[in-house]
Amino acid sequence: MVDVLIGVSILLPFIAGALCFMIGNTKARAAVIVTTGVVLAVSALMLFQNGPCTYTPETLLGISVNSIITFFDFALLFIILGIAFKLGNPLVIILTLLQIVPLAYFELKMAPHVEVAPAFYIDNLALILNLIISIVGSLVCIFGIRYMEDHEHHLQLKKSRQPRFFFFLVLFLGAMNGLVFSNNLLWLYFFWEVTTFCSFMLIGHDRTEIAIRNATRALWMNMTGGVAFVGAIIGIFYKTQSVEYFSLQNLINHSPELTGFLLLPFALLCFAGFTKAAQVPFQSWLCGAMVAPTPVSALLHSSTMVKAGVYLVVRLAPGFQGTYLSTIVATFGAFTFVTASALAVNMSNGKKILAYSTIANLGLIIACAGINTPAAIIAAILLIIFHAVSKGLLFLCVGTIEHAIGSRDIEDMRGLYNSMPAVSRITIIGILTMMLPPFGALMSKWMAIEAAANIPWVVVMVALGSGLTVLFWARWAGLFVSGPQLKEQEVKKESAIKATFLTMIRGFYPNAKWNDSPSIKVPLVLLAMGAIVLSMAVPWIYTILVDPVVASYRPGLFVEPFKMGPFGLTSGVGAFYVLPVFLLSIVAYLFAVIASKKGGHRVVSAPYMCGEHYPDPSHPKFRSHLNTWRDYLAGNVYLQDFIGEDKISYWINILSLIILIVMFGEVVR
Amino acid sequence: MSTFDVIAVIAAVFLSPLVGGLVAGIDRKVTARLQGRYGPPILQPFYDVFKLFGKEKMVVNYWQIFCAYMYLAANILTVVLLALQSDLLLIFFVLAVGGVFLVIGALAAESPYSQVGAQRELIQMLTYEPLIILVFVGIYLETGSFKISQIVANYHEPLLISLPLLFVVLGYAIVIKLRKSPFDISTSHHAHQELVKGVMTEYSGPYLGVIEISHWYETVFILGLCALFWHTNYIWMTVLIIATYFGEILVDNITARLTWRWMLPHAWTGGLLMSFANYFWIYAKIK
Repeated sequence: MVDVLIGVSILLPFIAGALCFMIGNTKARAAVIVTTGVVLAVSALMLFQNGPCTYTPETLLGISVNSIITFFDFALLFIILGIAFKLGNPLVIILTLLQIVPLAYFELKMAPHVEVAPAFYIDNLALILNLIISIVGSLVCIFGIRYMEDHEHHLQLKKSRQPRFFFFLVLFLGAMNGLVFSNNLLWLYFFWEVTTFCSFMLIGHDRTEIAIRNATRALWMNMTGGVAFVGAIIGIFYKTQSVEYFSLQNLINHSPELTGFLLLPFALLCFAGFTKAAQVPFQSWLCGAMVAPTPVSALLHSSTMVKAGVYLVVRLAPGFQGTYLSTIVATFGAFTFVTASALAVNMSNGKKILAYSTIANLGLIIACAGINTPAAIIAAILLIIFHAVSKGLLFLCVGTIEHAIGSRDIEDMRGLYNSMPAVSRITIIGILTMMLPPFGALMSKWMAIEAAANIPWVVVMVALGSGLTVLFWARWAGLFVSGPQLKEQEVKKESAIKATFLTMIRGFYPNAKWNDSPSIKVPLVLLAMGAIVLSMAVPWIYTILVDPVVASYRPGLFVEPFKMGPFGLTSGVGAFYVLPVFLLSIVAYLFAVIASKKGGHRVVSAPYMCGEHYPDPSHPKFRSHLNTWRDYLAGNVYLQDFIGEDKISYWINILSLIILIVMFGEVVR
Repeated sequence: MSTFDVIAVIAAVFLSPLVGGLVAGIDRKVTARLQGRYGPPILQPFYDVFKLFGKEKMVVNYWQIFCAYMYLAANILTVVLLALQSDLLLIFFVLAVGGVFLVIGALAAESPYSQVGAQRELIQMLTYEPLIILVFVGIYLETGSFKISQIVANYHEPLLISLPLLFVVLGYAIVIKLRKSPFDISTSHHAHQELVKGVMTEYSGPYLGVIEISHWYETVFILGLCALFWHTNYIWMTVLIIATYFGEILVDNITARLTWRWMLPHAWTGGLLMSFANYFWIYAKIK
């Protein structure tokens, strides 16, 4: 059973991707995508039901799987080399050669045909990521069906390029599943490179000049990570002279006297993780990736790709617990968190806000991995879950809004609630689940701060970053509802419960309809519900999913950091009453909705304009010279002159490079 | 939940507005005396709010009503969690909910004054939030817990003795949080500094009353935080609260409004330096 499920998780997307590539008919392709998504989700749930397991596939169609992966590994590298020559980019050529040559030497001379048992090691961490990839990732692919139709309609393409697009998009899910299941470091490396390659293809999909430039940047930055990965593979063999440590589990649970030898490989692998997770100074590839169609951004930056980077660091964390490297990783992550949050504050482009906030959250996850206490690892894993759902949702919302209003600038979303109530409300839900209690993302941040409290400089950076995140989220949520009250409420006799329910569905405007196709609606609604329901279920998620991950890390040493109480989690140092706070929030929400819905005498007035009232209350204006009416313009404060992107990016890159140099300098010494 | 907890919750919900309103009344009286006026009666804030509730309901956008009640709910919850001696960081995050909804409410009205006020309020939140987290981390480093009940049970000397600099940082944050001069940037209760009332501009009648009551809860919460710095003795606790609040009123009256361009860098630099100094102090003591 397990073998079938693993096979489905990894191979089905490859096959479905190929099918998407061959099918010209849009409807048939949509059917393939939806079916694949449903099957993947079901298989992930069944794997989860089955629980942790291990599996070693011997052969696939009569050929040893190991050989197949080695073959495709080199094939992929040579394809990238070919692309590099076509691009005429010497940097990519060098970086590819730096992987091909050492890897060939390793395969031919050092250790040919490394067999690792088990090849797939599926613990709760892998299961969690598998669930995220298969469910959130599939929803993003389904969203893409309708989105890409509109997208190509906007571009007025003669020949549809969707087959190619969905080939890479669906294939990505398989590569990610393979990545999180692999226990063999060489297999992990193969899937790692597949994600790099797919992301290059997807970012450059629109083939505009800027798309190709940004895709190339993503490629070379991720290739540096690939070089570090190959370096780590060779380093492990060189230092230990044994293939035993190509099993990820053996590598993590190595004997204590080996720690000093393995620190360099660990540092290299962390570096590879940093590049993939777009940590500073590699943040520019993720921001550049925003030129791609929105499903790509949603897939790459919520549930896959960048999650591969943090997955690797979190996975390896127990291996370097208590070392110098761990502290540096924590510092590095926290530094990324605060700087990326600062950069997000001065963005008015919605997708760029999401991009920087993604980088910031990934930084926080990496900081937690570096803090490396059981509580911190739990915070990291919970952040991975909640970030994937909420951020995936927000990307899809911005995509939907962009197609409707033709802009992704948040200033243009002012008052969008009046014209697109349903999508606006879902976006607001997405924003609030990222920033406010009692939702999961904030709960993880709470855990992170408590875990970081013992490293003062880390906690200071997290505190500053957390203040910055509130700033850019709150004003974005506020902009949606900004605007005039469109029409007077129909005052009907409704029961309080019905009124509340209707408000949740349709907002304050009783007749507002939501006209998007199911391919847009279903992912948005499911993700929004998921963001709320998962937050409520935090105590159970923790007990069932996350706790065993941490328990299995260091058997014997483990003390459960949080206890499941009657009202939620309590820890030795703090308490977070999830359920009571949730209940009270719901009561407060209902009360507030009823208060704003209920009938009775109420005047909707024009805003105060210092005595000058323009006749139309929905367009406030000032009286100017010669009795003319003048519009006013209120914009957000982006703190450009304080922390403008162009001003501080340079210094951020320098500082982060210094942290990286210190990391490697110390490890090599 | 023990009987004590139930009493604490009831007291938090019902007594806080009374205390907060009284504090506001005393604040106005003292301020008036400092300015050489006679000042309104101590109960004036209550009269004002009663009057507000009698006025016509008037809004620009229904979201304002929603946000006003969410602001109230978040502030009540903050005080309740404080009374239940819950986790400091949790209380802090719930406090942030109130701030966020106040801002969303102000942004909902399409008025230049409340829009500008909302942006300024966001910057004020940005300024004080990290400072308060730093203070809480300091309390954790000293006492080993974020949970007030454990701090009270296990730590037997006034926190002020080991965290004097962090108390100053807290004082700084409180001036910003309570929007007192020189940091009454987003809205002000001094007529000479603010004719159009920033975030509050578009609130009127009963909804302004709701906001006013929420603010009373906020005041009680802030005073509760100060009380934590001398939890061992009720007399000294009271003295500390009165002294702190009087200090805030004094600062409020002897300074003129500054811009956020001054506030943000100075509060952060000063707050960070003092926090670090105090952290080192704690470490030195442990070693």
